[in-house]
Amino acid sequence: MKGTTMSDHKMSVHKISGLILVILSVSFFSGNAQAAEKIQGYFNSAAREVKATADPVQKREILNNEFQSVSNALNVIESMPQTSASDRAGLERYQSAIKDNQNELNGTNGYASVPDGQLNAFSNYVVQNMEQADETITISVVTLLLIIIVVILIAR
Amino acid sequence: MQKPCNSIHANVASGSLFIPMPITKCIRGACCVVFALILYPFSSIAPSVNGKALEPAAPIRYSIVSIIHGDGEYAYHDSSGDEHAADEDALLKAKTVATQNPNAEVFIFHEIPQKHFLIFFPLRDGEFYYYRGGRLIDSESYRRYQDSFRFAPEIELYDRFHVEEQGGCVRLFLYFGHEIPEFAGYGYDESHPERIFTVNDLAEGLKHITHDSAKFDLVVLGTCYNGTPRTIESLAPYAQYIVASPENLHLSYFDLSPLEHLETSLQSGGIAAFAKNFAQNAFDKLTKEVETAITVAVYDVDKTKPFLHYARKDYERTMTTLATFTNVQPESIAHCDCAENTAYGFKGMNDGVEIFYRAPQFGRAKSIQNHSGWECWKDKVWQTTNRQLLENAQK
Repeated sequence: MKGTTMSDHKMSVHKISGLILVILSVSFFSGNAQAAEKIQGYFNSAAREVKATADPVQKREILNNEFQSVSNALNVIESMPQTSASDRAGLERYQSAIKDNQNELNGTNGYASVPDGQLNAFSNYVVQNMEQADETITISVVTLLLIIIVVILIAR
Repeated sequence: MQKPCNSIHANVASGSLFIPMPITKCIRGACCVVFALILYPFSSIAPSVNGKALEPAAPIRYSIVSIIHGDGEYAYHDSSGDEHAADEDALLKAKTVATQNPNAEVFIFHEIPQKHFLIFFPLRDGEFYYYRGGRLIDSESYRRYQDSFRFAPEIELYDRFHVEEQGGCVRLFLYFGHEIPEFAGYGYDESHPERIFTVNDLAEGLKHITHDSAKFDLVVLGTCYNGTPRTIESLAPYAQYIVASPENLHLSYFDLSPLEHLETSLQSGGIAAFAKNFAQNAFDKLTKEVETAITVAVYDVDKTKPFLHYARKDYERTMTTLATFTNVQPESIAHCDCAENTAYGFKGMNDGVEIFYRAPQFGRAKSIQNHSGWECWKDKVWQTTNRQLLENAQK
């Protein structure tokens, strides 16, 4: 592609690698709690964006993008050969919770679609549901961090 | 003739530094002080005021013990999107309760993550506050879990400061944290995942505090999924009434404002009415903030005994099976309303239970309009169909 050089590509790879190294090294001392907080923060940011806009179409787009980004990240992590069986089980439960939220938003899989007037409340529900899911789904710190990294990369 | 303290003679020719004796003594003394200051945070017992020497200005009519678990993930976002730490919020509220009750002694134990000085030296991981007559009498940090008995350090602090009660003293115990496991129990403390904490440990703690004599008038469990036959029966010897959440308690949140003026709130109806008012208040506050399910139950321990006796056999059998999955975190195994399982069908199931329930505003469970007040583990059918999932988690 015009304008893209080999050195640009290497720089991008280096930036990503650097990002991964920084997050992993900082979070080594932070532990599971801080890693899970970062993911909760992501859902919370999306909820804030939803409440900041009055347009229901935009609200739905924000929520759908949020669900899709996290779902794609979980798929990537799940497909990695080094992901443990127990983490895979946790990831599947996470996926299931997100998919259920997405179905309800869009009125699929037996759900009636969330009415426009309830989208703000629904965004709060997603945040709270995911915060509660963190208490019942056990995923290792490294896998949690990988989710964060991939979500960040996908969101760019 | 002795040289003055402030003179230092450097013997350049020999390459040695001669320092007069008084200065060496000063330096040694200073080093000892610095060394002691460095080591102080790592010592087990911190000096503290002997609370028993202080006589209360007003008679002690209420005794409140709060344990707030903070060694884990307790971050949450309120409906405005602002981030909070649930354990810090609970600590603030517990301190407010302590200062608002001039006729109470209040013990607050805050269990915090273990940190290290210079990576290798563990710092104290418990914070203790003792209030009497509305005033802070003592606060100190302490080292948790020094013994095989989880709450040994807390009991030692409690015994050191506790005022011998006069007749009619109302005793309250509150615990805030994540779901207290009924089996396994590893990993409850994020700083020490090898440590075990289960409902049995909490019961033992209550036993030591009550000294096998008078029960707590009220025990409040600000945790998820501890409104179960097993948990209530374990704590029954030490409590007259228990407030707990059979399902998920968002933020481990119970509003403590009913505790702020016990002289007023306990005036009419006694402890039974107070427990109900406490649960109702918590439920009302949660319904304003939370879109997920809300269940708050008040258990009159004596009246629940027939159902607890009936449910014991099946519940124990389920737990025995689940306990074989030693590598599975209990919180990852699904819960359900005991009423969903015909094994727990008992005519007097609701005796002694007052339940405040609101269904989640979204999700599949939106249509579930009530709850029995008792939470169980998913039954064998679920376990069988999900055995593969559980076995994978064991590897």
